[in-house]
Amino acid sequence: MSAVESEGVVLGGLGEAELPVAAAARGPRTSMRSVGMRMLGGLFVVCLLVFMIGPIVWLGLRAFSGLWQFPQLLPKQWTVAGWRTVFKDPNLSHSMKLSFEFAPVVTLASAAICLPAAYAFSRFRFPGRRVLLISLFATNAFPKIGLYIAMAGVFYSLNLMGTFLGVVIVQLIGTVVFMTWIPTAAFSAIPRSLEEAARDVGAGPLRVFFRVTFPLAAPAILVAMILSFLAAFDEAQGTFLVGVPNYITMPTEMYTLVLNYPEQVAAVFAMLLAVPSVVLMSLARKHVMGGKLAEGFQIR
Amino acid sequence: MVLPPVGVIAVFIGFPVGAAIAYTLGKTGGPNSVMSLLAQHEHVAKHGVTTAPYREMLSNPSVREDLWSTVWVTIVTVVVVVLVSWGIALYLRLNDTWLARTVSGLSVVPLFIPVVIASYSIAIFWGPDGFLRSVAYHLGYHGFPSLGFTLTCVVLAEIWVNIPFGVLMMSSGLNSVPNALIEAGRDSGASMPRVVRSILLPMNVIPTVIVATFTGIYVLGSFTVPYLTGPTQPNLLGPTMSNFFTAFSQPQQAEVLAMIVFVLALALGTAYVWANIRASKRAGATS
Repeated sequence: MSAVESEGVVLGGLGEAELPVAAAARGPRTSMRSVGMRMLGGLFVVCLLVFMIGPIVWLGLRAFSGLWQFPQLLPKQWTVAGWRTVFKDPNLSHSMKLSFEFAPVVTLASAAICLPAAYAFSRFRFPGRRVLLISLFATNAFPKIGLYIAMAGVFYSLNLMGTFLGVVIVQLIGTVVFMTWIPTAAFSAIPRSLEEAARDVGAGPLRVFFRVTFPLAAPAILVAMILSFLAAFDEAQGTFLVGVPNYITMPTEMYTLVLNYPEQVAAVFAMLLAVPSVVLMSLARKHVMGGKLAEGFQIR
Repeated sequence: MVLPPVGVIAVFIGFPVGAAIAYTLGKTGGPNSVMSLLAQHEHVAKHGVTTAPYREMLSNPSVREDLWSTVWVTIVTVVVVVLVSWGIALYLRLNDTWLARTVSGLSVVPLFIPVVIASYSIAIFWGPDGFLRSVAYHLGYHGFPSLGFTLTCVVLAEIWVNIPFGVLMMSSGLNSVPNALIEAGRDSGASMPRVVRSILLPMNVIPTVIVATFTGIYVLGSFTVPYLTGPTQPNLLGPTMSNFFTAFSQPQQAEVLAMIVFVLALALGTAYVWANIRASKRAGATS
């Protein structure tokens, strides 16, 4: 291997094992090296599998285990007792209900507030536009706990502590960045000529927006809404600080569970908490992977 | 149309952050008076400002230890996430086999799992009765360390959480490099590593900067991951901040830590903004 090649391999990071395979596949030579690289690649996939999926599977097993001692690789007894505990405990089921109330409210409120702004950011070049986009980003850089502590002071004086609205605001703060950036990129990607063409054949501005612009931006808006829903659904710290003792959602309850309940109950609750994420992300998978998320992170 | 979100941000982030900055400098009146009622061991500036809260926190040895852990955990996580996501994205760009599709599927799994659950399961997985120790035991290696509730576990969990974003950003960047360009490089005799170094690497700088800064900012400010997977002491500044507020009732000290993290994050943020502006200027010049 030449010096140039080995340098490239270092730059490629973990992909190093696979690069030469691609090179070899182009030519007719299939050498011992290619077989070795294939095995290395396989090993990497196995490591990735264990690293990525292992913890989740391990937790899933725990949700059904009756007796499980180190160093057994599987539980000795299986049970659904943990599931019964979770569904019978009024606190736990109440927190599930609350979570499903807050997340949709926050998502819709966030969409109502941010989507018009996203449209304005992409269509109008007003002074201070870039500064505003960047300051949205700066809010993302301030550590959340510090922010929540600072917000708590303001919330006390506005009587928002322990209220529904207070929790909605705390959760909404975490969604503003997604809800503005991702749709902004999507609106910007729609050629103006399309809108102008629609207007030329006699469509009014509203009609142009709802028949041309919106349908084209819809996938990105869907991604933004799902990310917001999940951000709201998973938000624990701020909700805890503002909502206690009236509004304890699933993720806030999770902290208590991890510390105070049997491991198995926490595992069951964790599995339940993951359900909405898995379902929603599966729905949006195509668009998230297709780059809708990535496009939102480049300021133009 | 831009007003509503900017207003929400200004009222619920800008204003509290401004008040918090004043608070850390010893201003306990105005919007800080309620917090000040609850606060223990507060530094008050009679006139002007005081840096006493900062001096107190920065001379506290355990806080310094936490600050140091925060910095190295962040650096290690950023480096690993950038390298691994570059590697995976590059592999996906150059291969379209079932193996590549498996890798791409695996690398976005964390997007589907709430962070609370991820942290909890990772702590158990690497913990004293976790999978790796059990497997090592069966393979005859009884001394495998328990990594649960150590800073190493925090790094592992932070990597786990940040990989999908890294891979998605890098893939999106690499996919925007036209195939023709790669083919052209290959046809003129460049080896694959050479193509990567001279074509793909320079064209993927912006996504790399974005991944590095966002991962860094995420780790610096993270709470859930270190809280659930890390040791009691020393841990990252996120949990320490929360301790100073809830356990010690010292909001002023907590805010000082928040400011320190904020300054570190802003330093990273500057790199991000600079890279973006440079890129959009260049795009403007060519089009």
